[in-house]
Amino acid sequence: MDAFTLVLWALRIGFLICLYLFLALVVRTLWRDLRSAVSTAAPSVGRLIVVASPLGRPEAGTSIPIDAVTSLGGDINNTIVVEDPDVASQHGLLTFRGRAWHLEDRGLGAPMRVNGEPVADATTVHFGDEIGLGRVRLRLERPLERVDP
Amino acid sequence: MRLARPRLRMRPRTRDRELRLLTVVALAMGAGWVSLSSTRSGGLSIGDPVPVVCWLLAMLGVHVAFVISGRDLDQVLLPVVGILGGISLLFMERLPQGLVVQRFGDRTLMLGDLQLLWLLLGLGLLGITAISVRSVRWLREYRYTWAALGIGLLAAVFLLGDEVNGARLSVHIGPFSGQPSELLKVILVVFLAAYLADNRPMLARSSMRVGIIRLPPLAYLLPMLAMWGVALALVIIQKDLGAALLLFSVFLALLYIATRRGSYVVVGLVLFVVGAAVLYGVLGHVRARVDIWLDPWADPLGAGYQVIRALYAFGRGGILGTGLGAGLPTVDGVAAIPLIHTDFVFAAVGEELGLLGALAVGTCYLILAERGLRIAARAPDDFQALLAAGLTLVVVLQAALIMAANLRLVPLTGVTLPLISYGGSSILTNALVVGLLLALSDRTAVRGVPAPTARIARSAVA
Amino acid sequence: MNSAPGIGSGLLRVGLVVCIAYALIFAGAGWLQVVEAGPLSADPRNPLQLVAARAPRGRILDVRGVVVADNARAVDGVRHRRYAHPAMAPITGYVSTIFGTAGLERTYDRQLTGVARLGAGGDLLRKFRSRASDPADLHLSVDVRLQELAARLLGDQRGAVVAIEPSSGRILALVSTPGYDPQQLADPATAAAYLATLGDDSGAPLLDRATQGRYVPGSVFKLVTGTAGLESGAIRSDTTFADQPVESRRGFRLEGFRIQDAPRSVQLDQPLDLTEALEVSSNVWFAHAGLATGAGALLEVASRFGIGSAIAFDLPTASSQLNGGDGPLHGFADRVELANASYGQAEVLTTPLQMALVTTAIANGGVLVRPTLVDRIVSRDGDESRTSPTRIGRVMSATHAATLRDAMVQAVQGRYAADYAGGARVPGVRTAGKSGTAQLAPGQAPHSWFVGFAPADAPRIAVVVIVENAGSGSSRAVPLGGRLMNAWLKRFAPDSAP
Repeated sequence: MDAFTLVLWALRIGFLICLYLFLALVVRTLWRDLRSAVSTAAPSVGRLIVVASPLGRPEAGTSIPIDAVTSLGGDINNTIVVEDPDVASQHGLLTFRGRAWHLEDRGLGAPMRVNGEPVADATTVHFGDEIGLGRVRLRLERPLERVDP
Repeated sequence: MRLARPRLRMRPRTRDRELRLLTVVALAMGAGWVSLSSTRSGGLSIGDPVPVVCWLLAMLGVHVAFVISGRDLDQVLLPVVGILGGISLLFMERLPQGLVVQRFGDRTLMLGDLQLLWLLLGLGLLGITAISVRSVRWLREYRYTWAALGIGLLAAVFLLGDEVNGARLSVHIGPFSGQPSELLKVILVVFLAAYLADNRPMLARSSMRVGIIRLPPLAYLLPMLAMWGVALALVIIQKDLGAALLLFSVFLALLYIATRRGSYVVVGLVLFVVGAAVLYGVLGHVRARVDIWLDPWADPLGAGYQVIRALYAFGRGGILGTGLGAGLPTVDGVAAIPLIHTDFVFAAVGEELGLLGALAVGTCYLILAERGLRIAARAPDDFQALLAAGLTLVVVLQAALIMAANLRLVPLTGVTLPLISYGGSSILTNALVVGLLLALSDRTAVRGVPAPTARIARSAVA
Repeated sequence: MNSAPGIGSGLLRVGLVVCIAYALIFAGAGWLQVVEAGPLSADPRNPLQLVAARAPRGRILDVRGVVVADNARAVDGVRHRRYAHPAMAPITGYVSTIFGTAGLERTYDRQLTGVARLGAGGDLLRKFRSRASDPADLHLSVDVRLQELAARLLGDQRGAVVAIEPSSGRILALVSTPGYDPQQLADPATAAAYLATLGDDSGAPLLDRATQGRYVPGSVFKLVTGTAGLESGAIRSDTTFADQPVESRRGFRLEGFRIQDAPRSVQLDQPLDLTEALEVSSNVWFAHAGLATGAGALLEVASRFGIGSAIAFDLPTASSQLNGGDGPLHGFADRVELANASYGQAEVLTTPLQMALVTTAIANGGVLVRPTLVDRIVSRDGDESRTSPTRIGRVMSATHAATLRDAMVQAVQGRYAADYAGGARVPGVRTAGKSGTAQLAPGQAPHSWFVGFAPADAPRIAVVVIVENAGSGSSRAVPLGGRLMNAWLKRFAPDSAP
């Protein structure tokens, strides 16, 4: 066997090895995606659709998956940061307890509205209800990713 | 408490995974090309690397375009297209160039150059689709237009088509010829996804009992019968077994995904068996295909010729293959398998890259399937989910159909191996499909509200 | 995983179905490309074979490298095979574009054309050679000189010779006469006419008598009966039968049938033991021994030698038999047939190769080895696969083998040897042997048999000779066998002492 035969042999094997290296990398990527999907998919129990947001934060039209406890307000530490002159840093708290959604006003800003009606302290909300904070309006919707029982 | 989803604000600046995978694609293509040209020249050589370099640069170009667009597109699909298209390019450069010759004015283009051209065009289409399609609502809104267009295509083929290899597939318009059934598949998937998304709740409810099988109201059975009719029409009018089989199986899969009712699949399979049995009895070309499959050795120099030669090719390949360029595609200057560049390209892969190469190619389609179905699973509404699933299945099942036919596991039905077989219609259509999948994979782009029917649901939250 | 139930799990199940479909496809590819790859590549309709057929075919060489078969220079692109030594025809066979292939040319067709793979590692490497095929040369264990000598000694008589190296099972010569000239079959110009003359020949020259000729063995079969008696415990080396001396003279009456010894030049009045009975070839003694052993034990021991089934060999073989197989007594019709079979008559039919295996087992101290023709297969690209001796198993105990060996030495070197196998004696070498005279239908001259080996204590060659209708063993086959052993030990063997 001369050197060229060996080189050719190595090239041919090398091509196959490259193919499998590619597959291995892809499969690793897929595996990571799968694991991160598993770890992040579970908590979402609903979502908020941004119906109106004049200042663009949150961006109008987006759909935000939410957990059982979601805080709303202008402060960066809120789950959903709502930018509006009339929204306080810690404005409202949306929680899912048992079978119903509850909206609490933390009383630091203008009263929140549910379907246009002002909320005094706390109230229950349902899927399809529209929550208003200042000029920002959010609609509560069923979650995208269903958690299989 | 989780912070606001970063993807609301931050768009990925770089696409590291994609770039890394593309690097490996480049590495593989380099090794493959040098291996091929060295085998051909009998000494270490890189031959004329222009085609491979073109392909790799085009991939890089699309990658950069994706980065600039700022869209959060899937990072695996483009490299998979890169590797499949690359393998296609290697084989089309390697097979006898005289298999396809086209004249453009005073320029004559042959198999390899033509395929490069189609691949580049396809890649362009893929990139444009992936970047520019931000909403697929229009696809849904014009669903009946698509249905009409599909039937129009079918009619066009019927009226204008030429018969090639026993199937009426091609339409010639001026110097160009195309196979409308390729596009027909995509159009019908769009229509099906829209139709099923609209009528899902109705279809999932059952109101009619026939024996032990529960059926939906008769009105909703009509589309199934219509699909069956389209498939039959494809077989009878176009003699296109492959497209018919593919469409019908994709339809059944989508119907199952939308309704999760096994009875539909059973009814569909019964329809399939009845149709297949009748067609076997009535149509000569269907019977011929099946008979060749059952016993190709009955007529080894006639009808069974290609099938047998494909089996030999796999046998010659063994585990590691003969190596690129060292196979036996021609005997005495005649192609051992006349359709080696289209229907039987998988046999060429099996011979020169061996079992390992064949498995690698198959795995690429499986990866496409995983990505596509995951995109479907994460889609924000039913239409997008069904669309993504349908598009994925069109590619993946077609690949399975032709690979299995090459291996003589099923009768040969004359479909192409997606993204590898030679052919403009096939390459462009599959590039379009992957482009749409990429577009659907971007979840930050979900705008607008899903159509109301999508939310009539027995949703049991938590 | 979607706003309505079911999309997620539906997708999952469809994905599962896709995975199953692909798994089946992968399995199909694996089946074709691993399990079926060899048979598919060997299919004569495979275009690979067409290409390989145009490439020069591998050669066949004898043990010293003498080229037995190679390729004639191509004329008008047509290349045919050249055979320099017609005596090798029973081994090499022929390649004919018209009549196909036979012999080793057929058995090793894939190696000779180079489409087969050599060795496990060779497979991986071979795939990556530049040529589509890699023709290999066959290096035989046969010595052309011994082969040609045997053919010459048989002359124009019909017969066969098998010579084996007992320790390894390597065939040294395998002759069948009348022979044919493979050259004339290979050459398209002469093939058709030549085949026609071969077909007209009543001697059936294309039949390989050494492997496929089934002959009545006569007395050489007593070795099998002796083995069976010893192994079953029915007889011992000192067993005698009291009535045997009388019966040897007047005949042994068994159920109305009379078994006789061949007339001897000397009368022996003492009852014979095994050694003496073998030495003077007493039919009566072995009839008694066979009856004492019983049909079952005789068949069982015979099957250890391979009698009753085709011998695993590189050439097609016929199977030998003890009886017609339709009688009530383990296939024997009655005790008379069993008694007659015990000294190699009745329905016993053996091939020369089968008798060679029996002889080899005795020479080997009871161990049977697989007979082989090919020592090495060496491909153009340097892959080499060697045949190593394969032990089939122990047929008899070393003691029993020694008993039979000593009796065979007596037959060659004993007092009465001149009447039996004495003519096979290799001067200066202790020689073992057994003659046979196979009685045929009345009016037909008997087949002349000899089996033997030398040197008796460390055998280097075992020989089986049969000459059809040539009279008694001692008159024809015995001296022929002796000359072959002598030639091998004194002249041809690699370390022969002239």
